[in-house]
Amino acid sequence: MDTDLLSDTFVELADTMVTDFDIIDFLHLLTDRSISLLAASAAGVVLADPRGELRVAAASSEEAGLLELFQLQNDQGPCLECFRTGRAVTATDMAGPDGRWPRFAEAAARAGFATVEALPMRLRDQVIGALNLFRAEPGPLDPADLRIGQALADVATIGLLHERNVRRRETVAEQLQAALNSRVVIEQAKGKLAERLSIDMDRAFTMLRDYARNTNQRLTDVARDFVDGATADFPPPARRQRGR
Amino acid sequence: MTGSRALAVWGRVAAHAAAYGRRPSVEDVCAVAVSSAQLGGAWVVAARGGEPDFVMYVTDPVSEQLAEVQLMLGEGPCHDVLASAGPVLAGDLGDAESVRRWPAFIPAACQLGAGAVFAFPLIVGAIRAGVLGLYRDAPGPLPGRQLGDLLILADAATVMLLGSAHGDAGNGDGAAVDGQAPDLALHRAEIDQATGMLTVQLGVPVGEAFARLRAYAYSQDRRLADVAGDIVARRLRLGRDPGQDGGP
Repeated sequence: MDTDLLSDTFVELADTMVTDFDIIDFLHLLTDRSISLLAASAAGVVLADPRGELRVAAASSEEAGLLELFQLQNDQGPCLECFRTGRAVTATDMAGPDGRWPRFAEAAARAGFATVEALPMRLRDQVIGALNLFRAEPGPLDPADLRIGQALADVATIGLLHERNVRRRETVAEQLQAALNSRVVIEQAKGKLAERLSIDMDRAFTMLRDYARNTNQRLTDVARDFVDGATADFPPPARRQRGR
Repeated sequence: MTGSRALAVWGRVAAHAAAYGRRPSVEDVCAVAVSSAQLGGAWVVAARGGEPDFVMYVTDPVSEQLAEVQLMLGEGPCHDVLASAGPVLAGDLGDAESVRRWPAFIPAACQLGAGAVFAFPLIVGAIRAGVLGLYRDAPGPLPGRQLGDLLILADAATVMLLGSAHGDAGNGDGAAVDGQAPDLALHRAEIDQATGMLTVQLGVPVGEAFARLRAYAYSQDRRLADVAGDIVARRLRLGRDPGQDGGP
């Protein structure tokens, strides 16, 4: 483990958690850093929607094979089991005879992953989401890396529930829905920008995120203004005042 | 677990409408919400420009007054849910947090006999169609099971509001809701991305793009997620004139 990288990551994540930070941007950063810290090929934060669905809040890549792996876990796989048990779950040896999740294992192997981990995002007795790690190497994370992975999952929970003191269970549900809707706003903005400039979704996301950072705005606000705006010009010709 | 729960909830809405011999509407959504969560009443407020605008439907006189008083005061859970894009679950209107949060609304709500108010935004990303509000006489939390059902019912009301605002009566989006098996795939990245792409292809606001996407899928008898996937993969473009929809 590169301890400099580890400390840099936690400093960076803590620095990002200032007033009014954007949760989706933050979770995206967290998935990116999880990859470099834990030698993963891909990562994602999946949230438990009370509608009875697991939904992706942030993923390290928009690659269709990866998104399919999140979608599949609504029916089977380590994430679903992590939600049910509240414990970290490792799916390894995808090509081997581990017959628990045949459809998931097949899709994971096809995408080039040998090991998939789901680390619970816990708030007291409630599991609100999971950090999903996808790695090419077979075999579970070693105990030291597993602790770091769990710490990253815990930071994701803190980020998600930052705004208020969450004594009330209701507040968790309120925050979770707002975060899930932010993700939808960003997807709509990605679509509009990708169509306008004939670029792919990953590139559209990067442009939106960079513009938000460079202008000190929340990613969700930039995305909402762009989707709501009458023109498809980006960056917008002049910054509009918020607060209608 | 995907969709089966939503299917069951939509089924209750469809059954309620069928019992009255009518097409499912927000009226049926409100009735199912009230009975499934043992509430006192429900209301739907339509939004314009991201703010609550007018009361569209109420189940009872208390709901009507709860909805109207928020519009009059410009304060309350209905305003907050459109700003935060998450629900407001005020299980005890008498607690200090509620009183601090809505100093004008709380005395009025308590005088009307409401002990708890739950408000759900009728939104899809940047699309803000309105608010579903509910009240109960007795204070107390909303059980997790009921929360899931109410979120699904709010999705149903959102689709109905957007469909009736943008679809044409005969074959528009409202008809998709009318069918026995509504397309429940509301929450997929590709649907949201396709909606964003259609704002440019069709030159329409995002709410109308969403309604057109659903109407197109329905008219072609195809799954919403599949049509969205074709649009995102740039295998399908929709034309500005509804008659021109087709391949690239």
